[in-house]
Amino acid sequence: MITPRLGMTISVLALAACGLSAGCGVTAAPRTPRPPPSRVERAQVTHEYPSPSPPRQAVAGAWRSPITAVEAFANDYINWTFRSVSADMRELAARSIGQARAATQLAAAQTANDYELQRGGIANTGTVEVDAPLSASVDEYVVVTRELTTASATTAYQGLQPAWHVAIATVTQVSRGWWVVSGWQPQS
Amino acid sequence: MGDRPSRSRRSSALLVAGVWGAIAAAGFGAALLALLISVATQGDECGSSGPSRASALGSPGGVELGPPGTAQLVGATEYGGPGDPSSGTIGAAGVNLLAHPDSYAELGGYTFQSATAMGGLPYMTPLRVTWGARSAIGYKRDFGSGGGPVDGLPRAIDLWWQFADALGIPYEDGSWSGPVRISRPPLTGSANLLGQSAAPDPALLTPPTGSQDPASCEPGAPTGVPLTAGQRARLLPDGLAAAPSDAPLAVREMIAAGDQIVGKPYLYGGGHGLPLSEIAPAYDCSSGVEHLLYGGGLLAANFGAASGTLESFGKPGAGRWVTLYANPDHVFMYVAGLRWDTHDAAGPGDGSSGIGWHPLIRSAAGFVARHPVGL
Repeated sequence: MITPRLGMTISVLALAACGLSAGCGVTAAPRTPRPPPSRVERAQVTHEYPSPSPPRQAVAGAWRSPITAVEAFANDYINWTFRSVSADMRELAARSIGQARAATQLAAAQTANDYELQRGGIANTGTVEVDAPLSASVDEYVVVTRELTTASATTAYQGLQPAWHVAIATVTQVSRGWWVVSGWQPQS
Repeated sequence: MGDRPSRSRRSSALLVAGVWGAIAAAGFGAALLALLISVATQGDECGSSGPSRASALGSPGGVELGPPGTAQLVGATEYGGPGDPSSGTIGAAGVNLLAHPDSYAELGGYTFQSATAMGGLPYMTPLRVTWGARSAIGYKRDFGSGGGPVDGLPRAIDLWWQFADALGIPYEDGSWSGPVRISRPPLTGSANLLGQSAAPDPALLTPPTGSQDPASCEPGAPTGVPLTAGQRARLLPDGLAAAPSDAPLAVREMIAAGDQIVGKPYLYGGGHGLPLSEIAPAYDCSSGVEHLLYGGGLLAANFGAASGTLESFGKPGAGRWVTLYANPDHVFMYVAGLRWDTHDAAGPGDGSSGIGWHPLIRSAAGFVARHPVGL
């Protein structure tokens, strides 16, 4: 049996449910959509003229899992000679996107005619000792490498032992089941 | 620490026990006086602006190591070996020094923290040590109390006897002393060679001058940046920002870097093409932000990307201390709650319209939020 008090309660709850779900007979006044501001209007506010978004980056290769993508990138990043480093970095740029691509492109450009590397006959070799996902992050990995730097034309590196280095890698899925490195931030 | 401390620590402990009572009262008085003088003069010495990197790695009162390859003459001793059994064979961190013959101790104190004759080098720091025509790389695995000057040079380094032997130094039952040259070896590892490591580059360190000794400022405080209590930065009347004393060093260094270029004019493309370690005559949004990130040790000096690239900087979302807001057209950021931006977008009362700190927040609609890892 429904008492008057229970009936009142049910009515109030039903009305509240209607309000929350929006669209139970209460129609909002029609709103005229406001056109997005023009580029000139935006520039008047920001003092900077907007440029078009960059095109989507094409990538030359991808890996079946994040961990293999990180491992392959790290291995290529740490193994080079003064003769190969520029081409190696260019290749890494082609196989990565985002900040990782920008960083390796920069490295490729800077090492193309690096006097110090050439004059010293510098080479870097190493192994990836650890690559593990960062806790509370689905796309970031910590990479620990052990690297040895040598030089064929200077004694500056003579006697130095291999040293530990750490980098943070970010991976991105470029298509279903295929991954590339999109961020590479060496910490040491 | 190992059960058989090295000679310099054991012998100095006996010496200290003998004289400690006599000098304790005088030492306390001197320390109190030094503290008062330090507090009284802190404002002057911390007040000037300048690069902040040296403050984190400076050498309070000891030998100041230069950039890699810059040799410095210091006083050295040797320890250990059959003629010096009191030193034992176990280093302060518990490693067997006989298994690591390329070891040295930094002198100047009774713990790793207080033995700072060379600035308090981290454990396992490599140094090239040269004696006569021979040189070798040694690794810091020990500390020692040190003593008076050697041949008029500050006594800074104690060479494990096998390391001394590798340099051709004659073994004198652990009692040899003399001058050696020390220098940092070049940085190693791909990221360092390519200039992409976030770690501070010793080549960029600027040694503190006598009138600007970071040791007199708050420990770890970037040189020149004013501090404010708590966790939020504060805009000062002159347009500079005071860094929150509770913030991590990297955040305070970012604020110090910002204070270096506050008021520089906005110029599209300004600041790009120069290393971030240099002060440009003008900045745009991205180069200004990157100058601060470099100041915090978060970017290499040769980084120079446009605002769109910063859309993928660090980790997504807002950070605890630092948040960048980037899109292909613009980038700005908050550092300890204070906005670093290029223009007056928050409306009247927003403050200056050039590069600098702004008191009001602005809309972040259309921007991607990113933050540095750990900040």
